[in-house]
Amino acid sequence: MRKAAAAHEMTASGHALGRTEATKARLNLFETIRPYLYVTPALAFFGVFFFFPIAYVIYLSFHDWSLLNLDEIEWVGLANFTALFEDADFRQVLGTTLIYTLSTVALGIGIAFFLALWLNRKAKIFGLVQAAVFSPHIISLVSVAMLWMWLMDPQYGLLNALLEFIGLPGYTWLSDTKSALLSLIIVSVWKGVGYNTLVFIAGLQSIPRDIYEAASLDRSPWWRTLTRITIPMLSPTLFFLLVINTISSFQVFDTIYIMTQGGPVNSTNMLVFYIYEQGMDFYNGGIASAASVILLGIVGLLTLLHFRVMEKRVHYR
Amino acid sequence: MRQAGLTAWKTVEWLLLAAVGLIFVFPFLWMFLTAFKTMPEVYQFPPTWWPESWQFQNFEIAWSSGPFLTYVWNSFLVAAGILVLQLLTGVPAAYAFARYRFRGREALFGLTLIALMIPAQVIFLPVYVEMSHWGLVNTLWALILPYGASAFGIFLLRQSFMQVPDEVIEAARLDNASEWKIMWTIMVPMAKPVLVTFGLFSFIYHWNDYFWPLIMTNSNEVRTLPIGISMLKAAEGGKLWNVIMAGNMILVLPILAIFFFAQRHIISAFVYQSK
Amino acid sequence: MKKVRVSLLACAMSITAILAGCGGGNQQAATEQTSGTSGAASGAQQQTADAGKPIEIDFWYALGGRNGEMIESMVKQFNESHKHIVVKPSYQGSYYENHAKVLASVSAGNQPDVTMVEVGSIGAFADAKVLQELTPYTNGAEEKYIPGLMGNSYWKDKLYAIPFNRSTPLLYLNRDMLKAAGLDPNGPKSWEELREFSKALTKKEGDKTKTYGFSTPIDIWFYEALVFQSGGNILSEDGKSLLINEEAGVAPLEFWTSMLKEGVMKAPPGEKYNAWDVAKQDFLNQQVGMIFTSTGDLRGLKEAAKFDLGAAFLPANKSYGAPTGGANLVMLAKSSEEEKKAAWEFIEWMTDTKQTIPWSLETGYMPVTKEAVESEEMKKAYEKEPNFQVAVKQLEYAKPRPMVPGYKELQEVIMTEIQRAVLGQASVDEAIGKAMEKGQKLLKK
Repeated sequence: MRKAAAAHEMTASGHALGRTEATKARLNLFETIRPYLYVTPALAFFGVFFFFPIAYVIYLSFHDWSLLNLDEIEWVGLANFTALFEDADFRQVLGTTLIYTLSTVALGIGIAFFLALWLNRKAKIFGLVQAAVFSPHIISLVSVAMLWMWLMDPQYGLLNALLEFIGLPGYTWLSDTKSALLSLIIVSVWKGVGYNTLVFIAGLQSIPRDIYEAASLDRSPWWRTLTRITIPMLSPTLFFLLVINTISSFQVFDTIYIMTQGGPVNSTNMLVFYIYEQGMDFYNGGIASAASVILLGIVGLLTLLHFRVMEKRVHYR
Repeated sequence: MRQAGLTAWKTVEWLLLAAVGLIFVFPFLWMFLTAFKTMPEVYQFPPTWWPESWQFQNFEIAWSSGPFLTYVWNSFLVAAGILVLQLLTGVPAAYAFARYRFRGREALFGLTLIALMIPAQVIFLPVYVEMSHWGLVNTLWALILPYGASAFGIFLLRQSFMQVPDEVIEAARLDNASEWKIMWTIMVPMAKPVLVTFGLFSFIYHWNDYFWPLIMTNSNEVRTLPIGISMLKAAEGGKLWNVIMAGNMILVLPILAIFFFAQRHIISAFVYQSK
Repeated sequence: MKKVRVSLLACAMSITAILAGCGGGNQQAATEQTSGTSGAASGAQQQTADAGKPIEIDFWYALGGRNGEMIESMVKQFNESHKHIVVKPSYQGSYYENHAKVLASVSAGNQPDVTMVEVGSIGAFADAKVLQELTPYTNGAEEKYIPGLMGNSYWKDKLYAIPFNRSTPLLYLNRDMLKAAGLDPNGPKSWEELREFSKALTKKEGDKTKTYGFSTPIDIWFYEALVFQSGGNILSEDGKSLLINEEAGVAPLEFWTSMLKEGVMKAPPGEKYNAWDVAKQDFLNQQVGMIFTSTGDLRGLKEAAKFDLGAAFLPANKSYGAPTGGANLVMLAKSSEEEKKAAWEFIEWMTDTKQTIPWSLETGYMPVTKEAVESEEMKKAYEKEPNFQVAVKQLEYAKPRPMVPGYKELQEVIMTEIQRAVLGQASVDEAIGKAMEKGQKLLKK
């Protein structure tokens, strides 16, 4: 990388040979600002639609405001945050989001890990199943949500028909406070597990063959190979998946909006849906932005953690 | 004896493979089958597997329940518009990050990486307020502009540009090719696999997106397909699952078709992030 | 198939137009002037003649399915008969979604000129100065609407909304099932009768209940109805305190939970309107004998039902009682003067006798003008289909929905808590206590 850049600098000055000093100076100036010119459009977009909104939402979180009247905005200090943390409903929302995230991530990654170990083979049928497992990942969540709402219909849904077919009682799925969250978790795992599986497979395939060959020469039993070689070698992949899955679980919205609207009895009300409701339904812009800032904090922390570990990983290479 | 055990295991494994495959594929099949049933058949328990008679008019009902041609066109415009913008902003940025040394490069690239991680759901409120100020709410611009630059795209392209051998660029420079020209006529064609990968990823992602159009649109002229589909829900006599599923097929089929033909590309498009 | 329906509809509307035209001689002069036919149109045309091109106004509505199609075709008719105005209709999903969309659009400045607003939200929007006061435009036209439907039209004594698709909850009956069980096909008259009927209709097969006697979405609207029937109110007169901890607020919950415990009532699963969908589906599939739902579902259910469908008053506790519901039409304050004039012309046309009669007969929503209720045509229709008159008759016992700016959030709090009790997660007293605590806090804001 450095070499490439150095080479470039050399040729850049080289090909300016034979011109007058004035144009040379102008050219040099242009050469210095050229890279900045190239990155400006992209960074401008990030600035306007990303970094400024982040600053803005933090600013808004210290104010009382509503979408109904943006001109009446009043400084309230930390009042939105204290109101949030004193509110039992919001604590419940946070708790639900946490349970949802932990379960989705654990199940999504756990199942994917075993699927990957099993499906990581050359035969065509394995490739086919890999593709099948992956297919829900590229389908719109709208369709996934509606499809599963129909499958989980407590009276006419296919799932309860199958349960009854094998002699089990039908399940309540989305209609009960005890099962609604689990139902959402199932949907999210179903949609996401294929992606995780293929990432794991990519990780498995990048482990050098000779390590395994050495292990088999040592007659190391399969479980030792798994715990001593496969898992440690997969740990960067695993870590990547942990972060990506956690972040995407924290932003769950579409399935809630379409399937449960946060119910029954608030049992599936999670952070982004809460922000949406407060901001777009209940005129509580301040509360909504404070909750956004909390979400931002959580995601920011995860991102930071990710970068820390990535840096280390890069150094090892 | 051992041979027999092996074939037995083979059979079990094939059955398991079929079972796993079905878990992920059968729901789509069920969507397809439901889409062709009559209402009484939909509300029959236990359900029938195969539609008693194939009701093609369910698709007609779904399609004519709103301006679906407009929805499809909007979805396409948005997804394609975003992709074009992302390439216009992304290629120069990636080229600069890959091929130049300049003060602040690491910091600026770091900013790009942060943008890669933070989801839109965190900042939809302030962006909505921004769009309000500019009078852009309920226009296609509100759907396109916020995604005008892709951190992921820059990241991918940068990696690919870094792999182009120095000799190629030097040769071009000796021919007095401008940097701009080198970027678009030499670097970009060499990054074609990555472009296809990224293009598929970006297009599919925005074709499917529900959240952003839900927040930003409120009239049929600018609604996208996922919004149109989600509005199929309402009717007086309960949910018309056959029509709803038919509508969803319109959203799902193009993507599944692309997946069928460009499976490898799509998988690498989505899995590439991990590398 | 859809085309056939629309043309039938247009047919029905033109017939009613003629009929209403015959009987409309004694209309007030003021109404005549703007009542949307050619005479009024030319008057307004003059004002915009210099502009030369028609004014465009945006109209948002929140009804899907059949009723939504009906609205679209009415708008089309309006546009055809009013060349100087182009109304652009736009479906926004359920009342909830429409509410959020209107709210958000106001800040973005791309709000509609006319929108349906669920009656419980009028106070909130008016209080936030989003709505245009209508008096300058009406010329007294508000006098022609049924007074019982105007309760949610005023905020702080100013007129903001005109009734459009107005409903009350009704008890829907599967008369075939009632007859088969030897019950009065006119349905139960009191809570206790409702309980007995439900018991008689409930059928079990082993542990499984095959048919339930009664089902209702655990929705704030029906809770309001039962509170009114028990002689109580949700809010105090001044709108500053919540009254649901009084006897009348507790009785409905006790009634529902005891019915559920006896296994003769079903609380349909699903959040918000999903639960309504389930109740209606069960009813149509004859898995439930009686349900509460809106008058607005009457036509749709009647057409889909394969049995003798009846509609009746909600059963009485101390008295009959029901909230009115549905949506009103409002104009938004941010529109230009020209748009507001066009908007009013549209609102008046949509709610005028000539339109409200076919609208009512095609949907089940109540006709909104006094003239319509008394019209020969309506009377004839009622004779043929008495079910369509039940809602209007029930109006005698109906009250407006509570209106305070924060009612949208408040109703969700109450709903959540009563659902908790219904699902058995809290006792009735706990649920009411919790709702009181949270509700009072909201009211103080």
